[in-house]
Amino acid sequence: MDQLPARPEHLALPDAEPVVALRGLTKRFGKVLANDSITLEIRPGRIKALLGENGAGKSTLMGMLAGRLAPDAGRIEVDGRKTRFASAREAIAAGIGMVYQHFMLVDAMSVAENVLLGQEPGFLLSPRDMERRVAELAVRYRLEIDPAARVGDLSMGEKQLVEILKLLARDSRVLIFDEPTAVLTPAETFRLFEALWSMTSQGKAVVFISHKLEEVLAVADEIAVLRAGKVEAELRPEEIGSKADLARIMIGKDVLLEVDRTAAEVREQVLEIRNLTGLGLADINLTLQRGEILAVVGVAGNGQKPLVEAVCGLTRPPRDTIFILGKPWREYYADPDWKHTLSYIPEDRLGLATMRNKNLVDNMLLTTRKGFRKGPLLRTGQAEAKTRALVKRFDIKPGRVRVLAWQLSGGNLQKAVLARELFREPRLIVAEQPTQGLDVAATEEVWRRLLDARDMAGILLVTGDLNEALQLADRVAVMYRGRVVAQFPVTDQEQVDRIGLYMAGVTES
Amino acid sequence: MPALRVIKRDEPWKGGALVIVLGALAFSLGAGILMLAAQGKSPLQGAVVLWQGTFGNVFALEDALRKSVPIFLCSLGVAVAFRMQVWNIGAEGQFALGAIGATWAALSFPGLPAFLLLPLMFLAALVAGGLWALVPAWLRLRLKVNEIITTLMLNYIAILLLDFLVFGVWKDPTSFGFPMTPEFPRAALLGPIGGTRLHWGFAVCLAAGAGFWAFFRFTLLGYELKAGGEGARVARYAGLPYGFLVGFVMTVSGALAGLAGCVETSAVLGRLQPSLMAGYGYTAIVVAWLARLEPLPIALASFLLAVLRVGVENLQLEMQIPAAYGSIMEGLILLSVLAGQFFLTYRLGRREG
Amino acid sequence: MDWDILVALLAAAVQSGTPILYATLGEMLSEKGGVLNLGVEGMMSVAALAAFLTAHLTGSAWLGLAAGGAAGACLALLHAVVCIGFLGNQVVSGLALTILGLGLTHFFGTPFIGLAAPGFSKFSLPLLGSLPVLGDILFRQDALVYLSYLLPAGFWFFLQRTRPGLAVRAVGEMPAAVAAAGLHPLRLRFFTAVAGGGLVGLGGAYLSLAYTHLWTNGLSAGRGWIAVALVIFAFWKPGRAVIGAYLFGGVMAFQLRLQATGTNLPSSLLLMLPYALTVLVLVFSAWRGRAAGAPAALGVNIEPEG
Repeated sequence: MDQLPARPEHLALPDAEPVVALRGLTKRFGKVLANDSITLEIRPGRIKALLGENGAGKSTLMGMLAGRLAPDAGRIEVDGRKTRFASAREAIAAGIGMVYQHFMLVDAMSVAENVLLGQEPGFLLSPRDMERRVAELAVRYRLEIDPAARVGDLSMGEKQLVEILKLLARDSRVLIFDEPTAVLTPAETFRLFEALWSMTSQGKAVVFISHKLEEVLAVADEIAVLRAGKVEAELRPEEIGSKADLARIMIGKDVLLEVDRTAAEVREQVLEIRNLTGLGLADINLTLQRGEILAVVGVAGNGQKPLVEAVCGLTRPPRDTIFILGKPWREYYADPDWKHTLSYIPEDRLGLATMRNKNLVDNMLLTTRKGFRKGPLLRTGQAEAKTRALVKRFDIKPGRVRVLAWQLSGGNLQKAVLARELFREPRLIVAEQPTQGLDVAATEEVWRRLLDARDMAGILLVTGDLNEALQLADRVAVMYRGRVVAQFPVTDQEQVDRIGLYMAGVTES
Repeated sequence: MPALRVIKRDEPWKGGALVIVLGALAFSLGAGILMLAAQGKSPLQGAVVLWQGTFGNVFALEDALRKSVPIFLCSLGVAVAFRMQVWNIGAEGQFALGAIGATWAALSFPGLPAFLLLPLMFLAALVAGGLWALVPAWLRLRLKVNEIITTLMLNYIAILLLDFLVFGVWKDPTSFGFPMTPEFPRAALLGPIGGTRLHWGFAVCLAAGAGFWAFFRFTLLGYELKAGGEGARVARYAGLPYGFLVGFVMTVSGALAGLAGCVETSAVLGRLQPSLMAGYGYTAIVVAWLARLEPLPIALASFLLAVLRVGVENLQLEMQIPAAYGSIMEGLILLSVLAGQFFLTYRLGRREG
Repeated sequence: MDWDILVALLAAAVQSGTPILYATLGEMLSEKGGVLNLGVEGMMSVAALAAFLTAHLTGSAWLGLAAGGAAGACLALLHAVVCIGFLGNQVVSGLALTILGLGLTHFFGTPFIGLAAPGFSKFSLPLLGSLPVLGDILFRQDALVYLSYLLPAGFWFFLQRTRPGLAVRAVGEMPAAVAAAGLHPLRLRFFTAVAGGGLVGLGGAYLSLAYTHLWTNGLSAGRGWIAVALVIFAFWKPGRAVIGAYLFGGVMAFQLRLQATGTNLPSSLLLMLPYALTVLVLVFSAWRGRAAGAPAALGVNIEPEG
């Protein structure tokens, strides 16, 4: 993680008129004021970083700039003229393009088809011609990609390059990147930065949204810090003394998301994975005891999902490879108890962990229903009372139980899922990206509860956030291409320093 | 660009469902009445005849009550399946199979007393309807075959099977070539309740409706079915026996439609004949969707659409309008309800200047 | 079996399969754009009536054909408005369309039962018609059959080698990508659904203008549903649709001949053939490819942005 490139002698273009200016932009979602009268200027040839914690309003702001959301108040000026974008199409026509966190690519089509969609050279198409054009574009900006490849077969880093090519093919003047490095290895991150510098040197304006301080300091010419929907400060990197200074502006505190972790008592083994090969994994050997947290880190797409799905019973692993609470997988999943067993807190809160159109009581029963059964019947009264109690204890807003899952904010939804799963008093918890998209307050609360849960369980923490892993875990395992390439205690500083290398597949020879 | 834009509501529109259904009914009735003009008939006269054939006439309402029985039972079955996002379009065919099962029992055991014969007929109908639905369910679970088309194809096949039996092995030798089975023995007939004009099928409906409500409200299995509607992935997450649930839901769905077939044959026709098939299975789908899969609204909607049918019959009688007119109304009602349900989640608002 | 009889049967298979082919390709187009339209049965029915009435009243079969296509397109437009405009459930909306369509057909068509209308007659293509065997089967048909020979290739070419075709494919897989590319996903889906409906309408028109020249009730006889199943069987590729359509055409032609020549089999059982075959065809497809090739966003409505 500390392996980021030093900023080269990158000459920002001299001050030019802003390509895009945001003046007093405001956006509300229901009662939440996501953006409060924001004013910013974006100039050509510069990389402007938009820094802020989750929930500060960065994505909403860029959503408006990219035409996907309509502002409730304020205006956008392009080349000094007031414009209004009724759709993404109009924003793109005005030269503003966005590379989203979740790629908007058609897996079934080729790279060239994806890049040139909406930009085709003529009415009749020739695949060869399209591939040639895309190849030329890639060469011009020094991006390595095969135009004929099927997008569904590409890695995350390559898919991101396709997204960039899409914008370049449109001669976009402003390119917005929403948390682009979440899915990249450190090496790919460096390549991305080089691409960004290449683009700005050719006159493009780049907006780089992030909550990662190191990257922002490494790549940006200007930094705008957002907090609670407002622009808290606008600075240049030279003006910043330390990461701590920046953090303070970002969240208003000196603290950089750190937790006090005392070691817990380690007891019996709750999970054993032995020579697991298959399902996209190779030769996985892991053990987990009650009382400890094992963090599994790595760039997304290197086997974490298959591992989690196998352990949690969503896919079937080969025989005698996974043992849960001492039982072989098959035996455990034949008839699992609801209490004192495995609890899975998935990444997909709304689609998997909860039922979006059902209320909190129904959602609470989803994994605890057997605890409320009386023969063939269900004790709904008791379940409702219990749900009320949990809502109160975990302070889940709004305080009613009859709200539907989709009406809850990310933080409250995660708290609800946690409340439910902890109620099951599990012995083994699998938590997948538990604080993704949560603000600092919610993140700290989730962390605290996970640490407390060590009293009763062993926790397998799968996360892409290295800070989270290092703060919470006792041991760390790094995954690359379906293998565990390194496993070590978090106190081993030498290994911790090499995590970036491990994530990129560089192991000791 | 219009000054309106679409805004998602913060919470679902309370009471909106009823407004939408009423609006849809009004719209469809209006459009349907106007359509009469295209055939050279007077819309005004059509409206009057429709009224006379429905709410303006006690006998018509009684007739509608009778007709709502099969619609209600089939619709309960449809709702059970739809709650789990299992698209059982085969109520019509399962209805036919239920009638066939009941007929088999009635014709094979004519000597049995009513307290034995009737339960036997019910059982045969439940089993026949349930199995007919289980086939597409099995195909969906084992081979991932789309159940919409399989249940539908089985509708066509079921009706042809009924024809085959009624023209063939079960044909009444004394019927002068008309396709129908012999009359059922008295013991096989569901008679009227006391001195009223209602038959015991109503009791069946009450029992079925109450059972449906209680099942989903109080039982563990009912909860699991509701949760299963979220899909196979969530089912696996929560450890729900998804395969079993799909099979169960389809069997119950088919059994309920089969029950409807038995009741209709036994209480209304007294024998098996092709005129049994009046499209109740398809009306049931419209009812289920209108009623958002809840039992009490299903009862109301069943009655409403039965009233519509009786009214259309009157139109047929008085103005020679083909019976298919009812289908037009049902189709329009369903389409307008579908469109209207948009406003449960969204509303229109002004775009900022 | 007599060689002549076989050739005659195959020729009948082609004729009988042609309306199914039009309908299948029409539904396939709609689905490629992401819109599942289960109203095909109702659409074919209404289109058959519209075509018949127009031809009957104007004396022109071609005008009737156009009317049939327009009728199919109109019903598809209704479905599109409900699903794309109002986010209605696509499955239920299609069913409603079938109920409505069948009702409309009976309602407006009953007075015309038994009447005749000018239609399309068979003629032999020069040179090609004289080919042995193939000539008799393929090239002694009516104009609409000849037109249908060009359809699969045209379908493929449109989707794979034209700009709008690329957009259609994209909107069926990932509408968000289409919006991000600056296009209109909703508009694309509308056009695709309506165009598909037009093709389906042509298939319906064929039934009353070429397959028979009389009007009767129940002309579509489940062909619309068979078309929906065939899209799955064809793995959403036009070439395989041809195989499926002619297969069913053959079965239906065979069924008719059996009934005509008189067999011991009761007609009810014979009539079951196409429906049973549809189920078998679906089982076969699922066993082979698990509905592989379905557009990823098929049946999924596009929610409006905030």
